[in-house]
Formats: sequence, structure tokens, C-alpha cells
Amino acid sequence: MNAEHLIKMANDIGAFFEAMPNREQATKDVATHIRKFWEPRMQKSLMVYLSTHGDAGLKDIVRDALREFHPA
Amino acid sequence: MFASRLKRRLRAGARLIVVDPRSIDLVSSPHIKADYHLQLRPGTNVAVINALAHVIVTEGLLAQDFVDQRCDVEAFNVWREFVARPNNSPEALEVMTGVPAAKIREAARLYATGGNGAIYYGLGVTEHAQGSTMVIGIANLAMATGNIGREGVGVNPLRGQNNVQGSCDMGSFPHEYPGYRHVSDDATRTLFEKDWGLSLRKEPGLRIPNMFEAAMDGSFKGLYCQGEDIVQSDPDTQHVIAALETMECIVVQDLFLNETAKYAHVFLPGSSFLEKDGTFTNAERRISRVRKVMAPKAGLGDWEVTVALSNALGYPMHYNDPSEIMEEVARLTPTFAGVNYDKLDRLGSVQWPCNDEMPEGTPLMHIDHFVRGKGRFLITQYVPTDEKITPKFPLLLTTGRILSQYNVGAQTRRTDNVRFHEEDRLDIHPQDAEERGIHEDDWVGISSRAGDTVLRARVTERMQPGVVYTTFHFPESGANVITTDNSDWATNCPEYKVTAVQVVKVKHSSEWQENYRKFNETQLRLLKEKVVAGAVATVNGH
Repeated sequence: MNAEHLIKMANDIGAFFEAMPNREQATKDVATHIRKFWEPRMQKSLMVYLSTHGDAGLKDIVRDALREFHPA
Repeated sequence: MFASRLKRRLRAGARLIVVDPRSIDLVSSPHIKADYHLQLRPGTNVAVINALAHVIVTEGLLAQDFVDQRCDVEAFNVWREFVARPNNSPEALEVMTGVPAAKIREAARLYATGGNGAIYYGLGVTEHAQGSTMVIGIANLAMATGNIGREGVGVNPLRGQNNVQGSCDMGSFPHEYPGYRHVSDDATRTLFEKDWGLSLRKEPGLRIPNMFEAAMDGSFKGLYCQGEDIVQSDPDTQHVIAALETMECIVVQDLFLNETAKYAHVFLPGSSFLEKDGTFTNAERRISRVRKVMAPKAGLGDWEVTVALSNALGYPMHYNDPSEIMEEVARLTPTFAGVNYDKLDRLGSVQWPCNDEMPEGTPLMHIDHFVRGKGRFLITQYVPTDEKITPKFPLLLTTGRILSQYNVGAQTRRTDNVRFHEEDRLDIHPQDAEERGIHEDDWVGISSRAGDTVLRARVTERMQPGVVYTTFHFPESGANVITTDNSDWATNCPEYKVTAVQVVKVKHSSEWQENYRKFNETQLRLLKEKVVAGAVATVNGH
């Protein structure tokens, strides 16, 4: 899957939740959204890309959300 | 249907606020005149809803009793503090939205204090990068003013087709089972596994744009497409076609050989609503029977084709009649537990939830409490779309549909409706046209970062300066050659409503249109040869 597109999608999700006042909950919500709505190969493709290319393109909240993330 | 009822109420004295980038008929037409037209810039919906909420909160127009009794007060307080911030005021957002602050203030006062207030919205809300955020913003506004849970108020999404609601109800999302239950819910999944005798995945599937992405990397190889023409209706046509060309098996089932069928390996005939039994469910959750008035010309109803395909693939289905399918739906879906064909015949129609508690259906929801319990306000931060105007693409294109053509036009282009709308045109404001030396009926090239196409111009003050508009009812128009892969953050619904473009006067069709013309001619010639060969074979066979 196109990693650039996946990063943009993840950041778009982050852009919605980062406005929430409870940062801890918002970070969890980003991870939950990706788990619930991204097909496993999308999740895996993103994690594989980040492990080899780094996560510089991610919003902070997305980076934090994916830190404890285990792709299917 | 909705508009005719809406107009009847307007003629009887109801007040109206229209939020639309264009001066649509509802703004001003015989016997109809909107009190306020908030003519916003495409892509700024969330800024407008936040500005409306700001006025309601800061001018003391809240339905505080409703909020106190029905809503999560902690979440409400967080939302109230957010929308009250100065950066959400109509004055602060005016430069982005293009809507005069005074108009926003007056419209907000009317919605909050004008008696029953109902919000109706179409794809102009959802087909944006922030479509889901806007839906949340609308729900916030309705709760804040107490406009929900009784007759004459509410939030009413108008569906793009007659059975969008029914399809959603029945789990057509890649992450849900019927009744909006997530695939990861063990209890629900176990219910279906036991009933069907199968093991089912607990992870979500791919959405359409994700399927194209997966096809491009070689991991998505087959598609069964029923009654939808993704080649014409989906954004970034060239990307869609490139993805389809990588697939090993595309099955299209449709009434007509549509644009997607030209890329199919197998074509299965579809049946029209006059040729099949079943139900349609409309936007008010109303389930109505569809009864065939003639036998399917293709020999089988749509459901029978699906059953035959399933049987051939190794999962035998044993339905003898669509009513048996509804029995299964009722057995497995709590909100449909009381629905059956006898009841539909007796009552005429039923609005779900229909179960032991509400055996004749539920005309109104959220009367005393919300289905989820307390109404939950959520912050809706305005995030401008990435699709921004630049010196290269200085205009914003927004696309839509008109009354006389149905979506991609596969059905209506074959009727006399073409007299009302015989081609897709580009609507452009006189000022933008003059700057470009464009006159009525001129051919104009429209280019975006995704592609180019050529249409004839219609110079009209229905548009605001800086914004152009077209429809996508004719495949040769290539309207979706221009639209991009931008999509909603939550649903991946394409952002059809905002594309940065340039428009110039031209004399020739675009390269894509030339290629399309040749491709189409080849396809139609091959089809004709096949039909003739088939006819000869039949004759020889006899």
C-alpha cells in the first residue's frame, strides 16, 4: 500500500483528535480508530514503512498513538 | 421527494436558511425565498458550523434545560468553552468562509429561537475531508438548541440514492454487520458464525479507495461490483482505471453495460426495481416493500444471481424467496427483530427499530433519551482541506448532481430526460469568465493536479467568484478525471466538493477525452461483433 497515502490518512485522523483537551484519551482514540477502521494490510503497511523509514512525517499524536500499536 | 415537502412547508410560512456555495433554486424560486443564504467557500463547512455555535453559546441562545437533562454535561462544558473562543467567532472566520459575520449571527439567532428547527443535509456535507467533523458539528448544534427528539426537528441526512439507508442498515460497510455492529464485537460475530456455519474475520475490510490502493500493490485481485459504476462515479478516474487494470477478475452486475463493465471479465445482468421483490429503506428508516410487476427480463432477480454465485463458490444458500432473507435479517438483527413481509403488507411500511418493545416500528427516535444514553458533545476543530488554491490552480471546483439525471446517468441518459440536461457544463461566474475571455457555450479546459478535461461553459451568477461547478452525468465529460484522492478522515468518503483547478478557453477536447473516445469505440465495436457472432452461432445451432 502507498505509504505516503497511509501517513496522510493517519495524520488526518490525528488532526481531528488532537483538538481534544484530554490528550491521553485523544491518543487512545487515534489508535482505536485505526484498529477499528483500517484493514490489517493497511495497518501492517504503515508500521513496516515506519520501521524502515522513520516516523518523521507523522503528527505527534499519531506517533504517540502508534507507539503501543501492534499491527494485525 | 424531500424538497417538494420542504417547499410545501415554506409556502405555508416556514423560515429557511440555505448553506451552499451556489445560489441553488431553493435560495430563490417561485414562491420560495430563503431568509438567509450563507454562501460559503467550498471546504469551510466546519468553520461555518463553529461560527453558528459560537453565536448560540455567546449570545445566551442555548436550550440549557435540554442540555442539562439529556446531555453529558462535562462534554458539553468542554464544547461550550471551545466554540466560545474568539477564533470561532463569525468575525474571525469571515475571511475564510466568505460569509459576512452579520449574516451568520442572524441565521444562528433564527435557528435557535425560531421554534422547531430541522436540519436537512446532503452530500455537500459528507463529501469533504472534514465531512464527519461537520456531521458531528450539526449534531452538536441540534442538541445545543434542543432541536432533536420530537416531530418537526432533528438532523436529517438526505441519501444519495433511494436505498442507501437500507444498504447501510444491512452491513454494507466493510467494518460492520447488519444493525451497525462492529465486526470486532465477539457476541455479534458468534451469532452470525453459528447461523451461517462459518468462521468470520474480526478485522475490518477495505473501503473502495483502499481497494484501489491494494490493487496497485498487487494484493487485491478481484471485484464483484453490483449496480454501481465506479469508473464514472469515483474520483481520480485514471487512478481507478489503473487499479482495475491490475485485477484478475472483475464481475459487474448491472442493468446496463456501464463504464465499469468495459473493464469487466464477467458481466451478469441486473434486474430493475420493476423486476424484483424485496425492500427499500429510506432516510427516515422506513422499510417499504418492492414488488415485481414483471418477470426479470434477464431470467433471474438480483438476489437469485447472488444465491447462484454463492452456490457456485461453495457456500450453498437455501432461500426460496426474499421473505426468507428478511426472516434471517430479523433473526440476527435486534433492530429488525419484528420485521417480516406479513407485517409490511399489513402496515404498508415500518420504521426501524421494530422489535418486541416497538412491534409496529419507531417513527421518532431520541424522544426521552438518546440511544447511547447521554448526548455527547464533541469538539469540531476546523482543519482547512489540503486542496488549496494556488497560482497554478486558482479556482475551486465543486461537483454535484441535478434533478433530471440519476447519478452517473446510466439509466436516465437513455430517456427523454436528456432534453432537460443533454451535457455536463462548467458553471462559472461572469467575473472569472471575463478574466479568461470565456463566453457562454465556449469550450473550456479544466485542469487539476489529478487530470484535465474539457466542457462547454455556462456563465452564471449562480456561482460566486472563484468557484466553478459541474455535474458528472455523462462519461465523456470526465468530471472525475479532475477530482482528487482527498477523502474524509473517518470514512474515506471522497472530497468531491473541493478541487483546486484552472480554467482556460480551448478549441479541442482533452487528451483523456480523446483516449476515452477511442477506447469506447473499440469496446462498442467488440460488443457488436460479439453479439453478431452470438446471433450467428445461435442460428447455426438451430
